[in-house]
Amino acid sequence: MFLQLIINALVASSWYVLIGIGASLILRTCRFFDISLGALFTVCPYFAFLLKEWFGFPLVLSIVLAIPSTMLLEVIIYTSMYSFLFRAKASPLIILLVSLGLYIILQNLVSLIFGDDTKIIRPIEVQEGLSIFSAKISSIQGVSILIAIFLITLTIVLIRKSKIGKALRAVAIDPELAAVSGIEVDLVRLWSMVIACGLAGAAGILMALDIDMTPTMGLDALVMGLVAAIIGGPEKVIGVTLGALFLAIVQHIGLWELGPKWHEAGAFVILLLFLLFRPEGLIGRKVKKATV
Amino acid sequence: MSGSWFDINDVTKSFNGLRALSGFSCSVKKGEILGLIGPNGAGKTTLFNVITGFVVPDYGNVIFKGIDLVSLPSHKIASIGIARTFQILRLILQLTVFENTMLFFRDQPGEKIGNIFFRSKMSSKKEAENREKAISILESVGLGEKLFEYAGNLSYGQQKLLSLVCCFAAGANVLLLDEPVAGIAPEMIEKILSIISDLPRQLKSVMLIEHNLDAVMQVCNRVIFMDAGVKISEGSPLEVRNDPKVIRAYID
Amino acid sequence: MEYLLHILILIGIYVILSISLNLISGFTGLISLAHAGFYGVGAYVASLMALNIHSPFLVNVLCAIILSGILGALVGAPALRIHDDYFVIATFAFQVIIFSILNNWVSFTGGPIGLAGIPQPIIFGWNVSSHIEFLLLIGSLCALTLWVSRRVVNSPFGRVLKAIREDEIFAQAAGKNVAKYKLQIFVLGAGMAAVAGAVYACYITFIDPTSFTIMESIFIISIIIIGGAGSLWGTVIGAVVLVTLPEVLRFAGLPATVAANIRQIIYGSLLIGFMMWRPKGLLGEYSFQRGGPGSER
Repeated sequence: MFLQLIINALVASSWYVLIGIGASLILRTCRFFDISLGALFTVCPYFAFLLKEWFGFPLVLSIVLAIPSTMLLEVIIYTSMYSFLFRAKASPLIILLVSLGLYIILQNLVSLIFGDDTKIIRPIEVQEGLSIFSAKISSIQGVSILIAIFLITLTIVLIRKSKIGKALRAVAIDPELAAVSGIEVDLVRLWSMVIACGLAGAAGILMALDIDMTPTMGLDALVMGLVAAIIGGPEKVIGVTLGALFLAIVQHIGLWELGPKWHEAGAFVILLLFLLFRPEGLIGRKVKKATV
Repeated sequence: MSGSWFDINDVTKSFNGLRALSGFSCSVKKGEILGLIGPNGAGKTTLFNVITGFVVPDYGNVIFKGIDLVSLPSHKIASIGIARTFQILRLILQLTVFENTMLFFRDQPGEKIGNIFFRSKMSSKKEAENREKAISILESVGLGEKLFEYAGNLSYGQQKLLSLVCCFAAGANVLLLDEPVAGIAPEMIEKILSIISDLPRQLKSVMLIEHNLDAVMQVCNRVIFMDAGVKISEGSPLEVRNDPKVIRAYID
Repeated sequence: MEYLLHILILIGIYVILSISLNLISGFTGLISLAHAGFYGVGAYVASLMALNIHSPFLVNVLCAIILSGILGALVGAPALRIHDDYFVIATFAFQVIIFSILNNWVSFTGGPIGLAGIPQPIIFGWNVSSHIEFLLLIGSLCALTLWVSRRVVNSPFGRVLKAIREDEIFAQAAGKNVAKYKLQIFVLGAGMAAVAGAVYACYITFIDPTSFTIMESIFIISIIIIGGAGSLWGTVIGAVVLVTLPEVLRFAGLPATVAANIRQIIYGSLLIGFMMWRPKGLLGEYSFQRGGPGSER
């Protein structure tokens, strides 16, 4: 029983961690909470659905095409809106509200086009899963965890070793200094949002394959991802991962007595406690307060 | 130095391993203008931040009229008679000159929400009194015509003058002025310096950070030179200027 | 005619909600997504009292204000410790928690089913039942809300709020106990929202948690964004615009769900449009750009 809870927690955290990393990437590089990422999380599996159901593409192809399509959407959104806001030095609050408006539009477009009912893209045949000491894990769930681990590692390597990763870190620490050093800050921000979008889209597809999809799935996932990022420490990918694990474990095991309907509230109580008493997160360093 | 008006004792502060202040001590007498000079990064603004409660020192205390300021929150320090201006000018640009000034008066019953509704007559009366005082202070420094102008529309020099006026409105006995005449036109420099020079007559004390050495020579009774968080020299303006340690520091 | 009165009553309720939020967010600069929570607590407290102990309307409203005020203090208290952008997230968290409690504590609040049969208010013998009478009630409460808010905003207290909005550190240096002001304005705003909740509950005579979600909070803050942060009359105009807009769509003859989506899309576009080109809103004076040097992270 306990093992089943751990497995459930791991599966859930695999989705949260990916969107959480995306959100924290944007938070660090562009300095705002991007709510529209939740819409992109949703749009990606719906793209796959569109390709599979309306055009008859095979499932794997649909998925493979959906992710870059969603990233392309992000590019369009960035160049038409966010780029302008960053150049105008709009405050994080304004950009957050714009991303909120974007989320609302995208989510309702999905509802309009596809309807609010649950859509399925996973294969119809019953999947044989694994059984470990009476705990069950379906193959999709197993794949979820593996892909999450793979993507986390990929992201860490990308950020540490690649040129774009170094640029991302530079802009995150000091955008003005980065610009002066010859880094194209606008392009770097675009990269951060596109990478985040890719991670979120992948997470959306993984979730859709396990528990199907509705137009509003993205907001809940994004919020959990943000909570994971904040309580883990948004400065490092490892932090977000720990945060997601911590969150999922507390929810599934700690709140076992109360039942799943209190998961959300529980997450937010944890968030508030962290914001009040450990704002730098599980592994973050103490944040400097505004200098005088 | 003990039992006097304003004592800074052995203040030490490090940020992320960098020593900003190192055992800094000094006293300020009533009605004295003390100049604080030194290169950038010497710790001058950090000292102001410690005195006014925006930074908590690792060690040391600041005693004003027998009270240790280090244990107090910054708004409390501001309300017991210590006022400051900021190195990077701060004002509420979206409020008028008049409103910025009014903000600083200490006795404002209208600032309590209960008084607005249940003691409105008393609040209005006090507000009118403060209004008179504000207008007279602003007129006396030559900002009378700009009363209802948004602070954001003033020239930089006028804004610096306004931030000085705010210290008067607060009825402060100790004014901490961080580069009050930096980056402004000569006429305004003269005006502000003459206002500052008049403060000892009103038994107010001033601590003045400035890079403009002529200004420092002109108005200060005493000068302290500091570098890397340490007091290097202290004395009359002439003494400090001629101190070989100071000359060496500036040449390096 | 009844329909028109219904719209006016709704406008009235949202005027109270948005003005009270404007005091917190538009005048003091504390963007809060928890306002639907205060609204909901007010509605539920008043309704539970009316249904369970049959106390008179005014007593219920008073208790609603007090409880909501306490909640407001809880939300406002961390405002100094939790920094700016994270504070919005904290208010989001409070909102979700409050909603969760309303939705999941079934034995106390009725859960998702909500509360029905809420009695209409009787105020000193006046049984408020018809639309006209409710309009009178909400109209006077609006007037009261506007009066109180005007007094607050134009007083020295209001001056401090605006200073806090633009430059907190400057306000501290001016001797103002910023934490105390933030707390007080949250209590005031929450109390006002509770009044709107209590009236809403006995007007519709039925409430459930879906009226008090995060989307509702976002709706209220949109009124401020469009009408103008820091402007009382702007807020009124914003409320009129945003409440009547979906009703106008109703006449376009679209099926209900499509209309709901289109309404949201228009509404999201308005949000983006205003934020990108006119963040001050129609009449406002605050553009959500926090001021003060060194306030950029």
